[in-house]
Amino acid sequence: MTLLRRWRLSHLSLYRRLMIWLFCPLAMLVAIMLLQAWFASREAADRAFDRLLDAASLSIAEQVRWQQSRLWMDLPPSALEMLATDAQERVFYALYDAQGHFVTGNRSLPSLPPAKAGQMSYGDVISRDMPLRLGVLRSRLEGWDRSDRFEVRVAQSREGRQALANQLFLASFVNIVIIAALAMVVVLLSARFALEPLTRLRRAIRQRDPRTLAPLELALPRELAELRQALNELLARMRRVRANQERFIGDASHQLRTPLAGLSAHAELAMRQSEPAAWREALVTMHGTATKTARLAGQLLSMTRLNNPEATPAKRSVDLAALAQRCVRESFARHHRHGIDLGVDVPDHAVMVSATDWQLEEALNNLIENAALYGARQITVQVTDAPTRLVVTDDGPGIPESQRLLVLRPFHRGQEAGDGTGLGLAIVDSIARAHDIRLLLQTANPDHPERPGLCVVLIFTAT
Amino acid sequence: MRRPDLHRHLSVPRCVRRLGVVWLALALALTAQAQARTLHFAADTEPSRALTIYGVLDPPQVRPLLSDFHRRHPDIAIDYHNLETLALHARVLQERDTSRADVILSPAMPWQYQLANEGLSSPIDSPAAADWPSWARWRQELFGFTFEPIVMVYRRDLARRMIPPESHADLLSLLRQHSRQLDHRVVTYDPRRSGAGYTYAIEDARISARYWDLVEALGNSNSALETTTAAMLEGLSDGRYWIGYNLIGSYVQDYVAEHPELVMVVPQDYALVLQRLVMMSRHAPHPDTARRFIDYLLSASAQRLLATQTTLGAVHPSVDGAGTAADLRDRLGEAIRPVQIGPGLLATLDRLKRQTLLEQWQQAFDNRPTHAGGPLADPSPLPDAATE
Repeated sequence: MTLLRRWRLSHLSLYRRLMIWLFCPLAMLVAIMLLQAWFASREAADRAFDRLLDAASLSIAEQVRWQQSRLWMDLPPSALEMLATDAQERVFYALYDAQGHFVTGNRSLPSLPPAKAGQMSYGDVISRDMPLRLGVLRSRLEGWDRSDRFEVRVAQSREGRQALANQLFLASFVNIVIIAALAMVVVLLSARFALEPLTRLRRAIRQRDPRTLAPLELALPRELAELRQALNELLARMRRVRANQERFIGDASHQLRTPLAGLSAHAELAMRQSEPAAWREALVTMHGTATKTARLAGQLLSMTRLNNPEATPAKRSVDLAALAQRCVRESFARHHRHGIDLGVDVPDHAVMVSATDWQLEEALNNLIENAALYGARQITVQVTDAPTRLVVTDDGPGIPESQRLLVLRPFHRGQEAGDGTGLGLAIVDSIARAHDIRLLLQTANPDHPERPGLCVVLIFTAT
Repeated sequence: MRRPDLHRHLSVPRCVRRLGVVWLALALALTAQAQARTLHFAADTEPSRALTIYGVLDPPQVRPLLSDFHRRHPDIAIDYHNLETLALHARVLQERDTSRADVILSPAMPWQYQLANEGLSSPIDSPAAADWPSWARWRQELFGFTFEPIVMVYRRDLARRMIPPESHADLLSLLRQHSRQLDHRVVTYDPRRSGAGYTYAIEDARISARYWDLVEALGNSNSALETTTAAMLEGLSDGRYWIGYNLIGSYVQDYVAEHPELVMVVPQDYALVLQRLVMMSRHAPHPDTARRFIDYLLSASAQRLLATQTTLGAVHPSVDGAGTAADLRDRLGEAIRPVQIGPGLLATLDRLKRQTLLEQWQQAFDNRPTHAGGPLADPSPLPDAATE
């Protein structure tokens, strides 16, 4: 198991991977070439030596004639000597008549099936435990009166062929080995050269200052240039994220500082008075400011929580209708006190979506709160099925179309008037993004120029 | 081929030269002609190893070799069986799968070659075998270890009547010029009845087309035909014949030494040379000792022994002096024609080839067309490898 894991390809270095993928086919190729060379040299040796069988049997066949009422042959010694090369092969010959009867010879030799072309057929036979190359020549007498068929069979042992085949094979072997060695050197070198830019890239990344997010400037081959581009894009995103964070932190501290300064000023003013009534008035004001600041702090906290990419809370199946009813029920009393008409319109059955329930609640509360803060008198929360939507409609001043993208950014208020923190819609937007929810800002009542109202639609994608 | 029965009568060794020679067995064979003789050298030490040799080499020629080998290797018990050439061939074929012989040596070159070609020999991997002159061996399996020219012999008193022949051409012109004088006075092998005679005829015919003129001339002067060198030498010695053609030199040399009235001539134009071929049997029961013996035969010391103590002639390139291949080559140069150890020898054994050649020979000898007397009968039974 550990061995397997060690040899898993994904663990291997690029260099080794290249080596394996280059050397395995190379080794296979060399093996195939060697095998082919072996067969080719055997065949070449056989072809060369078969000429001898050919010549010898022709020379014997020439001497075959009809004499004394039978096939007759004056065996030329040179024909047999022809068959023995430097390897001093063993030599056998035999003459057979048309009926396959042995006429003369020094060993009975088997016949061979006729060859497709030519008179001569060759074959490897084992005769009395001796591997022999046999050649059979089919011929006929060329006399005036007789034209009997006959067969001259000659055979020789394989030493000469073997020696020649070995010699030929050795030559090919040396060639192939030299070529393979050269190929290996080339492969090694080219793999090193090909991987060299990778090493440069690694060095360049390693030598960077860890705090810098500047793009990588490095001449690289196309494949790695893509990687460099991807890296640079990532770096650019990181730069944007960092800039956003810095601005957010700056805005947040600015937002917190203003109410805190107000609190401090009110307290100071109140301390100069001696009237308890004035104190009370100051306290009421301070309480309002503190409440607002607390809400701001809470929203900052939830914004930070939402923007933390490390924490992606598990999604569960949530009943949207029940969730809307619960939120409205919880905040109904508070808004009723301020004379705001908060209503809810849900279907009878449950509308299930996959989401994180506290985030949806947060978004809904923010939307209701937002509408209330910007002077709506009537707020309706509506849940529809197919398509699954959560709609919050109010009759407030609305947001002009040019402002609609901007209001989604943190600390951007639609109107300078009002008690909003400037984070409400930004939080909703973050939650919508995390849930793949389409967020639409529409005008609720376009016919009413003074109070066109705002309709925020959250469209849940089908899960 | 028939072994010339030069030593048909048994000669009891005059002295036992080596202590190692303990036992010499002489066994009479069943037929009168085939006298199988056996030499035995017991091992002097224990444990002993055995070596069985089938050979066509008479005891007087082989004994010096065997006793020298025995002196060098006293732990090897040697059994030497002296056989007729055809009997040897038949026996080797008969025992092809259960060989009893370790070493087979014979001067019947075609027959020996046929056995080796059949794969009944086994290679000897030794430096001596590898260094052996390539013209005197086939593979590492068959080695020609002697060098015996085929010679002419004439009576010393021939010189008073005519110039004695020094070459084949001389012999032909003598026969043509003095055909009446030489009538019934020339003797040679009968190729129809003697394997050796047939082998020389086929080699002679291969070397020169004029051989047929010579046969014709021999026929014209009614030459006598014998089957053994010994019979020819006896006839020459008796004065029945004046000139002998194609006699085996190694036997002649011995005989001439004891019969001063005879002169041996190695033909000047070309001299066939016969070699005794030795091989190790494929299924040799004692391959170790067989290898050692053949190594010994090919060694310089054994070859020197062959040159000095026998008439067989040494082949080893480093051995020179009288009775060696080097010496003969120096004297005759290109005229030396050792019978080639190669597949050409197989043609010699072809049944139809034999009949063809013998017919032609008969025709030339009789000066009459062939087929006159009907097809020739197969002259004498030859072992046929294809029908065994």
